[in-house]
Amino acid sequence: MNRPETMNRGAGSARSIAQRYGLAFVSVATALGLASVFGHFHTPQTFGAFALSAIAVTFWYAGTKPGILAALLSSVVRDFLFDSQTSTESRLLFDLVFLVFALLMTQVVRGRNELQLRVAQRTAELTQSNDQLKREIAERNQAEYLTGQVFECSPDTILIIGADYRYKRVNPVHARNWGRPAGSMVGMHVAELVGVEFFELKLRPFLDRCFAGENVRFGDWFDNALGHRFVAATYSPLRSGSQRVEAALVIARDITEYTLASEALRHAQSDLAHVSRMTTMGELTASLAHEVNQPITAAVNGASTCVRWLTREDPDVGEAREAALGVIRNAKRAADIINRIRSMSKKDESKRQLIAIDEVIQEIITLLRNEAHRYSISILTDLDEDLPKVVADPVQVQQVIMNLIMNSIDAMKDVDRARKLVIRSRKAEDLRLMISVTDTGVGLPSQETNQIFDAFFTTKSHGLGMGLRISRSIVESHGGRLWAADNSPHGASFSFTLPIPVEAPE
Amino acid sequence: MSCHKENKLVAIVDDDDSVRGTLQELLRSAGFSSRAFESAEAFLGSGRQQETACLITDIRMPGMSGLELQARLNAERCRIPTVFITAHGDEEMRLQALRAGAVEFLSKPFDDEVLIECVRTAFER
Repeated sequence: MNRPETMNRGAGSARSIAQRYGLAFVSVATALGLASVFGHFHTPQTFGAFALSAIAVTFWYAGTKPGILAALLSSVVRDFLFDSQTSTESRLLFDLVFLVFALLMTQVVRGRNELQLRVAQRTAELTQSNDQLKREIAERNQAEYLTGQVFECSPDTILIIGADYRYKRVNPVHARNWGRPAGSMVGMHVAELVGVEFFELKLRPFLDRCFAGENVRFGDWFDNALGHRFVAATYSPLRSGSQRVEAALVIARDITEYTLASEALRHAQSDLAHVSRMTTMGELTASLAHEVNQPITAAVNGASTCVRWLTREDPDVGEAREAALGVIRNAKRAADIINRIRSMSKKDESKRQLIAIDEVIQEIITLLRNEAHRYSISILTDLDEDLPKVVADPVQVQQVIMNLIMNSIDAMKDVDRARKLVIRSRKAEDLRLMISVTDTGVGLPSQETNQIFDAFFTTKSHGLGMGLRISRSIVESHGGRLWAADNSPHGASFSFTLPIPVEAPE
Repeated sequence: MSCHKENKLVAIVDDDDSVRGTLQELLRSAGFSSRAFESAEAFLGSGRQQETACLITDIRMPGMSGLELQARLNAERCRIPTVFITAHGDEEMRLQALRAGAVEFLSKPFDDEVLIECVRTAFER
């Protein structure tokens, strides 16, 4: 900031020292000249009066030191010119007057300088706050411009809906989607635009959650002027100042094309999985027939036994009844196996549900047991019985396990060592279940291990080469991982994980 | 080692619980006492071969198959009259079994009269 000394010179700062001191000489000379023109040259009072003016002018314009010089000069000039006419008392009186006047002027100039300094400081402060205000206004204008641009130029719908469910602000995208001017929608109740039923069922629950302070996300089908559209929306609570939510900021994106494409993809994947499942079931026909044949054989045995007890010379109804109950039990078992095969062959998309993975594994083993026996393979299980349930599509998970077991059986068909297939279930880290299928077969192909997951990669003479690929996409769509590893000393091990729901319901 | 047919026991070898159980019941209703084994190995390890007058065995089982069991018994000069019961027997398998001395080769499910007649025949030998 400006220091007082600097300001002291403020009045004459532009002028050089020579000019400032020169003013003392010039002003005193002028006073002398004026005194000789206007007054009687011989009266020292006239000169004294003009000299005081000269001293004042010098003080005012040139500062303290030149002012004192002017006072001294005046005194010297007066003494030199009027020495003969005046007494010593008179001279001393004049000198005293000049001295007092000079002191007085010193104070005046100092006061003036301080005043100038304060004015300059205050001016600087005012300039500064004025600049800041201008800057803030410019920033606010810029922010408002950008906010406006966001509203006007966004490709997404942006709305502000008040707590009274009326539109407070509507952007052009929303206006276009509903085929009416944005202005006509402001103040309108949301139900008026989308229909009361849709509003009450689909929008109001989300809006109310937002007004209660929650950030809400959802996606749904809407019917607007553009047709049947799938929209993903976020509702964010707006609180201007107060804690109460005053409005909801709605940002909504039309993802109809994306949704349709992903649905088509899901259908295609489901169809492919079905084809792959049917191929596997086709390979298993003989084994599956055997699995069904066993309980039927048992039922026929039971029925024969029953007839024998009844047709003896001495019929035994008790034994016959026991045998008949056995028939019922075995016929039901045959039906169960057929149902299991049928559910694996079903094409319609089954739903995700809470499933016990061990039950799924056991069911698959029932279907594949005979296939394994055909190649003298023993299936061993090492299942953790206390595993939490997982949310999964049972048919798809069965398909993955079936595929891994079938691969292991294929890998062991031609090996001479003990043919052992072990299925394990474990609780892994990070809230996951891990299921692994380990065999003593030929092991993984020596090429890039990951290549086995590529489409159409196969080492078999039969099969589509899609099994592992489909299995991996099924596992990944459930939020898990599927990988392969060599098993020491022989064979391979395939493992996959499935996430455990955070709040696992019992 | 050779077998002495002193006792009248029917041995059943099948890996399926329900088939095994109902077969025992069927034989009981016809007046035969039987012992059931879940595998060929279990039968060989039981030491009951000598008492066995008739063997009824499945062909496809985990571990040793029915045909292998028959071959093993033949090698041990323990020729037990054997009835094969199988869900998927082909003609080749059937001929192999009969050539090795099988009494009968039946497809599951089988006629109880035929089976019991086979057992009777075996007992009369």
